[in-house]
Amino acid sequence: MPETLFQKVWNRHVVKATDEATLLYIDRHLIHEVTSPQAFDGLRLAGRKVRRPELTIATVDHNVPTENQLDIREPMSRRQVETLRTNCRDFDVTLFDVHGGRQGIVHVIGPELGLTLPGTTIVCGDSHTSTHGAFGALAFGIGTSEVEHVLATQTLWQGKRPTSFGIEVRGTLSPGLEPKDIILAIIRQIGTGGATGTVVEYYGPAIEALSMEGRLTICNMSIEAGARAGLIAPDDTTIQYISMGDRPFAPKGKVLEAAIADWKTLRTDDPSAFDRHVVLDASQIAPQVTWGTNPAMTVDVTGRVPEPDKVPFSSAEDARRALDYMGLIPGTPISEIPVDVVFIGSCTNGRIEDLRTAAKVLRGRKVAPSVRALIVPGSELVRHQAEAEGLDTIFREAGAEWRESGCSMCLAMNPDKLTPQQRSASTSNRNFEGRQGPGGRTHLVSPSMAAAAAVAGHFVDVRSMLAQGN
Amino acid sequence: MEPFTTHTGKVAVLDWTDVNTDLIIPARYLKRVERVGYGPLLFADKRYLPGGAPEADKPTEHGPVDPDFFLNKPESQGATILVVRKNFGCGSSREHAVWAVAQAGFRAVIAPVKGEGFADIFEGNAYGNGLLPIELPIEEWETIAQAGNGAEVTIDLQALKLTLHGKAGDQTFTIDVPETQRHRLLNGLDAIAETLLDEPAISSHEAQAPAWITPQPA
Ligand code: SF4
Repeated sequence: MPETLFQKVWNRHVVKATDEATLLYIDRHLIHEVTSPQAFDGLRLAGRKVRRPELTIATVDHNVPTENQLDIREPMSRRQVETLRTNCRDFDVTLFDVHGGRQGIVHVIGPELGLTLPGTTIVCGDSHTSTHGAFGALAFGIGTSEVEHVLATQTLWQGKRPTSFGIEVRGTLSPGLEPKDIILAIIRQIGTGGATGTVVEYYGPAIEALSMEGRLTICNMSIEAGARAGLIAPDDTTIQYISMGDRPFAPKGKVLEAAIADWKTLRTDDPSAFDRHVVLDASQIAPQVTWGTNPAMTVDVTGRVPEPDKVPFSSAEDARRALDYMGLIPGTPISEIPVDVVFIGSCTNGRIEDLRTAAKVLRGRKVAPSVRALIVPGSELVRHQAEAEGLDTIFREAGAEWRESGCSMCLAMNPDKLTPQQRSASTSNRNFEGRQGPGGRTHLVSPSMAAAAAVAGHFVDVRSMLAQGN
Repeated sequence: MEPFTTHTGKVAVLDWTDVNTDLIIPARYLKRVERVGYGPLLFADKRYLPGGAPEADKPTEHGPVDPDFFLNKPESQGATILVVRKNFGCGSSREHAVWAVAQAGFRAVIAPVKGEGFADIFEGNAYGNGLLPIELPIEEWETIAQAGNGAEVTIDLQALKLTLHGKAGDQTFTIDVPETQRHRLLNGLDAIAETLLDEPAISSHEAQAPAWITPQPA
């Protein structure tokens, strides 16, 4: 029987299985300050230890300010961060803290550190753990009680095995198009519940052509289609990413060779093994812009705000509520929607390639006077790399704010927030009501589309801006 | 989790129906990062005189208590068994409510009428935290409630008996606890403790894992 990549990784990690439940071994546990405190206290209360502290890695990302990471003014935020510090000390867990050189959004630093490896299981008390699937790892988000369970046992109980869903992306992306456009187009096509109960595997020429950064963007938003996890089979691009550069936790030498031999077996034997399968053509994708309050409410930048009764996957009433919240009138061309704030960052698009793409658009141009543009690197490493390449100068000269690393305006737990009715072009992953600040209106786009909107002061087809040259 | 086999303690009686989790622990305390320290926050808006409830970050610092509230009666001091009316713990799913009851020193909660004593989620959370929820027929519950704050009760989970040590001698009732929960409580097992029984399987999985899977020391 042909097997999928997902089944292979799952089967390798079964510790014990009964009729209705499976105990899975967890190879990597990532933690951050928000969802871990009660889990550690649970351990304390029961007098338990972290079973294998070397498999748990911590960072602070959600609460840290990006103007000066060291200056957390909000007392409850400060306490959450300090609690994580204490917990890591007490339980012997490695913490990548601010200004240590390796801090960043948990899903950005995993790959950078060489922790994210093909064929591993990775969990974190955070739904965007799906990001790590870009390496062929089975990676998914868990709750606080499960965080405690993994800390204590290095395992997790799972109900019945999810089904597998193959998403094949054929063709080639046109210039100016980005991985973000692919994943938004996928969610637009299958809906926000389209992958519920499944583990998605992305494959096909358009996926194979992507860098690791691009693959991470795609897998990141698997959760926005309802998937338990997203996967991409490891290949030479994956192996090169892991073996090159400064990845302290990655295998090296002979051990790496053995790993590579193993990783080469990690692929879906035949597409017929998928329980479900859809095909997209990358060459048909235009720059995507979300207009509503869930990531499936998406149209082409050349399109218009839809009529409420013509919105796929939403009732007219839901669509009307979304239009109302977003302050939009059906029929308005997307390119006529003005933006107040541009946010480039997050675990979706806060990596070096994203910043390079944004810089390409911003080089020699100016952010419109009506727009505030924040550029927030996903990690300290990304920040330093961008500065080494002079990207920060390009951003500053364009009039954008160059920040320190963290989740920032992706969810507004730190001071970076939209004010009510402010409208953003954001490279993050959720356009839910209030996600970027109470009353804020979020449009999800790619980094180059966000940069183009910053310059124009409204949404604009980045392809036409790039065609004009500098 | 601490095993629950037999327990003897004093009761404290809250003679209210439909006590919701907001009342058990107000929402502002959910900002806390700890899983401990909720004991003094139990019934915080009822237990202290106005303005006396602790701040979320200083749970042990509080103003004067309300002497009329059941928890503050002299006879209730040191009570470990909470006696409540129907539908205790309704409202939100916050596990903090169970943490508050348990961390205030209670090992069991007794409510009237089988299937009606507790809100479902509260009951599940209670078992998960080693707090025994007991539902008694109404007459038996009345007997205990009338014995009042400070009355002594023994709960024998092994024998599934509850005994009220009254002035006129002992009265013993039968209690009913689902077998899986009883097994967990008797052995002090929580989900983690149960998984740890599979330690040999976990270790053997680790023993056969390839070398590359262990992170290199940073
Ligand atoms: S960047 Fe946003 S989505 Fe990613 S981990 Fe942070 S808050 Fe979550």
